[in-house]
Order: sequence, then C-alpha cells, then structure tokens
Amino acid sequence: MDTNTHDRQGGGGGGSFLARLGGIDRRWIFLAIESIPEGSRVLLAFDYDPASAGELQPMANAMVHHCAARGHKIVFMALWPLGKQMADATIDDVLLEFHPNYAYGTDYVQLGYKAGNEAVVKLMATNLPQQYSTDAAGAALSSLPLVAGVQDLAAFQLIASISAGYPGAKEWVQYANSAAPEAFTLVSGSTGVQVSQLLPYYPAQMEGLLVAVKGAAEYEMLVTAKYPSADKPELLAERLGQGRVRMGPQLVAHLLMIGLIILGNVAMIAGRSRGGAR
Amino acid sequence: MNGTGNGTGNGTGNGARTNHRFLWISLAVLGASLSVFGTAMAAQASGGDAAQETVALSKSIGVWCAALLTIGILTFLYKDNPFYKVCESILIGVSAAYWMVNGFWTTLVPNLFGKLAPGLVREVAIPSLPVSETPGLDMALAFVPLLLGLMLLWRLAPKGGWISVWPLAFIIGTTAGIRLVASIEADLLAQASATIRPLVVMKPATPAGADGAAAVGAAAVAATVGALDFWGTVGAITGVVGVLSVLTYFFFSLEHKGAVGKSARLGVWFLMITFGSAFGLTVMGRITLLAQRLEFLFKDWLGLG
Repeated sequence: MDTNTHDRQGGGGGGSFLARLGGIDRRWIFLAIESIPEGSRVLLAFDYDPASAGELQPMANAMVHHCAARGHKIVFMALWPLGKQMADATIDDVLLEFHPNYAYGTDYVQLGYKAGNEAVVKLMATNLPQQYSTDAAGAALSSLPLVAGVQDLAAFQLIASISAGYPGAKEWVQYANSAAPEAFTLVSGSTGVQVSQLLPYYPAQMEGLLVAVKGAAEYEMLVTAKYPSADKPELLAERLGQGRVRMGPQLVAHLLMIGLIILGNVAMIAGRSRGGAR
Repeated sequence: MNGTGNGTGNGTGNGARTNHRFLWISLAVLGASLSVFGTAMAAQASGGDAAQETVALSKSIGVWCAALLTIGILTFLYKDNPFYKVCESILIGVSAAYWMVNGFWTTLVPNLFGKLAPGLVREVAIPSLPVSETPGLDMALAFVPLLLGLMLLWRLAPKGGWISVWPLAFIIGTTAGIRLVASIEADLLAQASATIRPLVVMKPATPAGADGAAAVGAAAVAATVGALDFWGTVGAITGVVGVLSVLTYFFFSLEHKGAVGKSARLGVWFLMITFGSAFGLTVMGRITLLAQRLEFLFKDWLGLG
C-alpha cells in the first residue's frame, strides 16, 4: 500500500469502518515526515527523561532514523533537563550508527536544554538566536551552517515534540503553533498518560500524534518497512524494535485484566443471585 | 491502661522485630549481590579472552545499583520494608539534589551571575557565555530578579514574611498573563473553530475523469458533488452531539429535567467514555514502564535474552 497517498485524517475517506479504524493513529507522523521535501530542516524536541523512556524512546529512535533516511537536517533540543542526554543517546545509537555520513553542523545540530519551560518556546517563535545563541557544546550558531541563518521557528518545515508532560507538546501547540500556524508542520509523540490532553489538537493544530507504545510500535513497523538498513539490518531491528517488543507484555497484561474484570463481574452477579435467593 | 500499654508495647516490639528481620534480609541480599558482582567481574577480567570485551567497571556498578534499586522499589508489592525505604529515600534525595544543582547551573549562573559578572562566569564556569552588546544595561536589569529572589527567600526569616508576597504576586501575575493569551488562542478559539464543521461530510471530488481528461456533463456534476462519506458524517455528528451534551451537563442555570436532563445524561456517557479511554491509556503506559524495568533486569543485569 502506498502510504504517501493515505488520508491523514485516519484511514481515508472510504473503506469499511474496520479499515478506517485500522488506519487511525499509525500514519499521522509517518506521513507528516514523508510529505515535507527531502532535506528539510526539522526540529526535534526531546521533552522527556528516563522515567518515560520506555514509551518514548522507541518513538525517538524511529523518528530520527526516519528523518535521516529522508535526508532531513535535524536540530535537536530539549525542554527537559535530561532531554539533552536522551537526544545524545539517540544520536549515538541511531543517527550515527545507521547514518554515519551525517556531519555535525551541516546535517544535524544539538542545541541542548534551556531552562524556562514555555518561555523558551515563546521566545524561539520570534527570536531563536536570543534563546539559543550557542549550541550545547558552546559553539556560536553563526558558525554552524545548518542554523546560521535561522531567526525563528518558521525556518523549520517540521517540529516534533517527543513529550512526557509539562513542558511539552501542549506548550508547542500553545506558543509555537499559535504564533505561526501555517509556518511549519507540528507533530508529537506522547505518553499514554498525557495523550488525552493532546487528542483535541489533532488534526487542526497538530498534524500527527503518536499514542503511547502502541503508536510507537506501529510507527516502527512503517519506518523499518520502508527504510531498512542495508549494512546493519539486525541492529536496526533491535534498535527500532523496542516498541514492538513491549507490545507482548501489553497483550498479556490486557488479557489478564479483561479476565479479572469478567471474573469479578461473574462473582458479583453470582453473589447477588445467591443473596436474592435467600 | 496497663492492657493498652502492654498491647502497644508488644505491637511496637513486633514491628521492630519485623523491621530488623527485613533489615537483615536486605543486607544479606546486598551482600550476596556484591559477592556475585565481584565474582563475575573477577571471572570476566581473568578468564575472558583479552581480545574480547573489556570490563566496564563504572557501567557495571551503575547497572548493579540500578538493578538493586529497582528490586528494592518492587519489594513494596509485598509490604513496606526498610529496603524499600532506603531506595525511596535515595530516589527523593537524588532528585531533589539534582533539581537544585540543575537550577543553579542552568538558571542562576547563566541568567543572573552571567549578567552581574560576565567575565568571572566566563572564566570559571561557562567559557561560551555570549558576549552582550549592552553589558551595563544587562547588569542593571539583573538586579531586578536578584532583588525579587532575595525577597522571596525572606519567607525563611523570623520577621517580615509579608515581603515574600510581592515576588509571589509578580510570579503569579506574569504567569497568568503569559498563559492567558496562549490558552485563549489555542484552547478556546482554535478548539471552537475546529468543532464548527459540516455535519454532512462528502468524499473529496475528482475533477477529472479516470483517464485524466476533464469531466463533462453529468460526470462533471457528479465529480463536483462527490459521494457521501458515511463514517465521516457519523463522526462529525457524534462530535457535535458530544460537545453540546457535555456542555449541558455543566450548565446549572436550568434544572436537569426533561430534554435538558436527557441531554445532560448523554453528556455523562460521553464523559465516562472519555475518562475510561484516558484511564486505559494510563494503564497501558504503566504496563510499558513495568515491561521496561523487567527488560532491564533480565537483559542488562542478568544477561538473559
């Protein structure tokens, strides 16, 4: 199936209800990253820390590999203090592992963490060099070709927030998307706990949303199917297979919970009928 | 009186004995783990092929600490115990210390000290601190947050607690001001706009024939109108009905009777389905976190799998 032509609203206009249901969720971000021209400038915000890595790291791995496979130029940043370390790990484990030709300064840049929560986003929307005058290592932005001429967020074709809470995807919608709604595509990958707050933003204010580990697993499948690694297929399957691995425990746990709910209800009904007989 | 005293004493004694038992068990587990760790390190260092992997001592210690702390936290599933308490205290202490140090180096040093004494900060802390075009003005402005910060800390003084109210008012006022505009734009106007959609959804029309030629006559009319998107229409109607019925539930100026009551009742159903969905997603997230910890224990720590 040609995923490029798939309707972003979730499954296309036609087809059965089950087909539409099957189309929901998995292609939003995939299509957003596919739809921008190759070599576009992309901003990836790592707004999470190790406590949420179980859900969000699979998304981050797949997203970085997807962007690099499309030749996009990636700018990393973080609204969470430990987000910079998560981004560094992703750069080492995925970007440089599977795309060793990516050069710092021209193909990717690490801006690092800035304190200030939503104020960081708000200032970046209008004056990025004032917020980030240097990259994470202290090099002036003017010395890095990828970000030398960047004045604000409109310089990016796509912004993705991998978000575990505050500050995160909600703040990107409120302060970045509201400031320049047509300037860039905004997508997000989110934890299951937070995603209920973000779903109302889709699709008008946020063009893509990966929902918890299920969304990560589906996204991993799409990315690895279209962009396999010729040199290291096994390593790619391992690094971009964490989400799918974690769906196994999900199945068992959900079956267990459903079983316990049914058992509890049967016990309650049996108890009631016994009480009624008395 | 005596009975109460004896009972309390016995209870306290039993509790203390239980705590001591857990303490000894915890120490035994720790000791056994350390001995296994030492043996494994020694075996790897001496018996292993020199050309193969070398022992990464710091990483190994980190993995073992993380594994023991994970197990310590999970012991709470059995009952509260000293091992869990130690792990919990370590977590809280390390988190608090990390946030304090992080706040100092990412906020105070670059944003305050970097403005007050940029040369010194550049020399001893942040060599890449940007050079300001207006250092005098920056320094003068930096005294404002410095003063507000000191006023905030005045709360700790025995007298003059009211002084800390002023910076608090400043914080609340600026936060409300920043958030108000964003919330109105993103959460009220944009959301209301996204809700106002056609109730009948049509499939996208195809302006040209299948062969690429321009459609003419009846075909052109059919192409312009397009076919009904049944499930899209159902979705649009469900959205509007859901919004109106939930709003009715929170509308208390009319008594919830008759049509209003039925609408409010429908709103409750929509709310319950929403909460159920949110709870389900939360459960899914928690299961993932547990799965990740078990992955860590089995793969990274024990090397199984």
